[in-house]
Amino acid sequence: MASISFDRVVKRFGDVTVVPELSLEIPDGEFIVFVGPSGCGKTTLLRMIAGLERIDAGTVRIGDEIVNEVPPARRNIAMVFQDYALYPHMSVRQNLSFGLENQKLPSAEIDRRVAQVAAMLQIEPYLDRRPKALSGGQRQRVAMGRAMVRQPRAFLFDEPLSNLDAKLRVDVRGEIKKLFHELRTTTVFVTHDQVEAMTMADRIVVLQKGVIQQVGTPAEVYNRPANLFVAGFIGTPTMNFIPLKRSGAQWRWGERLLELPQHADASTTGTGAVLGLRPEHWAVTPDAEQAFPMKVEITEPLGSDTFVFGEIEGQRIVARVGADVPVVPGDLLPLRADLERAHLFDTATGETLLRAASSRP
Amino acid sequence: MSEKWVDRLSHLQLAMVALVVLAPVAWMVLSSFKPSSEVTAYPPKLLFSATLDNYRQLFSTTPFARYALNSFLVSAGSTLIGLLLGVPAAFAVSWSRITWPATVTLMARMAPGTLFLLPWYLLFSKLDLIGSAWALILTHAVITMPIVIWVLLPFYDSVPRSIFEAAQVDGCAPLRILMRIALPLVMPGLTVASILAFVYSWNYFQFALVLSNSDSKTLVAAAFNFIGEGATFWGALMAAATLIALPPLLLAFAVQRRLVSGLSIGAVKG
Repeated sequence: MASISFDRVVKRFGDVTVVPELSLEIPDGEFIVFVGPSGCGKTTLLRMIAGLERIDAGTVRIGDEIVNEVPPARRNIAMVFQDYALYPHMSVRQNLSFGLENQKLPSAEIDRRVAQVAAMLQIEPYLDRRPKALSGGQRQRVAMGRAMVRQPRAFLFDEPLSNLDAKLRVDVRGEIKKLFHELRTTTVFVTHDQVEAMTMADRIVVLQKGVIQQVGTPAEVYNRPANLFVAGFIGTPTMNFIPLKRSGAQWRWGERLLELPQHADASTTGTGAVLGLRPEHWAVTPDAEQAFPMKVEITEPLGSDTFVFGEIEGQRIVARVGADVPVVPGDLLPLRADLERAHLFDTATGETLLRAASSRP
Repeated sequence: MSEKWVDRLSHLQLAMVALVVLAPVAWMVLSSFKPSSEVTAYPPKLLFSATLDNYRQLFSTTPFARYALNSFLVSAGSTLIGLLLGVPAAFAVSWSRITWPATVTLMARMAPGTLFLLPWYLLFSKLDLIGSAWALILTHAVITMPIVIWVLLPFYDSVPRSIFEAAQVDGCAPLRILMRIALPLVMPGLTVASILAFVYSWNYFQFALVLSNSDSKTLVAAAFNFIGEGATFWGALMAAATLIALPPLLLAFAVQRRLVSGLSIGAVKG
């Protein structure tokens, strides 16, 4: 069990600076998720913790120990790789015990731990099989077992669910959450899937181009995004972004004047801003006067809700409505925007100017 | 209909290539059983009375068994050295992605053997090793090591790096990664490398010609003795050639399946 910290860490690949000075503290026992689009540096950061990438500047600590020059074999961490990286010529049992043999543990202890983990992950029937005789889900569990059996200071996951089919992904997500939250070992989980991040993390680190955009709990990151990027990355379907123009002390969307909550005006500068409104913050309204009419193009009925894609004031909008609302493509749907829940972003920097007033921490 | 013809044509093509390749070999074997005078007869005789005279002459006039033993010692010894040095070297090149050492090795292999001969002769004379098996074993390592490196490189490269990384994270030291993880996964390559190295070393006569004496001569070098100034003992030469070609042939035959699959770069999936 150990904390992990990055102190002004820099990583370059040749002439390209992939991570320009990053600092982050991960307390002991936390399940933290690095999330971001491809190339944002999340896997690079993970590999720096593991010791599989050199650190060009700054320090990485595991516990109190600076591990910059410590080889991976001596960091006492365990990693689950995206392609599982099981040893193909060894049985599942041998895969599980290999790391423990390297630690020179007595064979009685090795057998005990292997049996315990095999039971926990329900892979006992496969102990004598080779990896190529296992399904993707089974291999994934063996990969996790190989990590768990080591009882390391920290677990590192590199997009372990990417190669699983959709249904299996949901099942394994839950299993991982249950298992690893129980173990209370510091866990760093890397994914490009924001749903995985939201469902599994104690805290989420949103990354773009090697720079931390925001660190917070799933609720914080969802309800109080620090900037446009985070707001657009977290949440599906994506938040609606509507460019606004200043009109005196108010804001204009096309021809319509908007009544934003009071504190919006105080902190805003410049003549333009972007309004952010999540799909669930639109509602069908009987009041045709106040409504924004949407020209419906596509409907996605999910059973519990329906997502409606269309145009309002020339802007593409997606709204979530109840499943009982009768709507078909071509309709003109009168929608009301819950502006209390709106976000406002600076056009130039993307920084949040106004967080939704009624969101709770 | 045309597919059957393409099939037949490719079979025919194969047969013709096989004929061209195997004809000299067949001739050599047949000639070894011909009476000496008939070997060089023109027009060439396909029907003849087989005789073992050539073989008898071979064994009575030359210490054939000794030469065979020398050949075997040199080839096996140099293959072993080639493996001992080449297996870790190829792994290091593949792992570090630093390729120039392998390129240098290849250039050394492609350099004409005569380039090394004089310096080596002087060196081994000074060390009093001319005529010792060691002179040949060491110099043949120039033949075997590049073969081992260049056969094994693609095999190491085809192992997903994440497997080696997983072993690192699992607390494995680099040498142990080579022995417990990498080597088992490149076994087909190892077999191919060993066979090729042995065969190349077996057939190499240049060094043996210069660096050995009558005690330590290898088979191929000794076979040269039959090519005389005036007369050449063709029959005995053919017999010698047939026997010399046998061990590599048998070896390749024994591991033929491995050889073919090993040569078509093994793709190891984790």
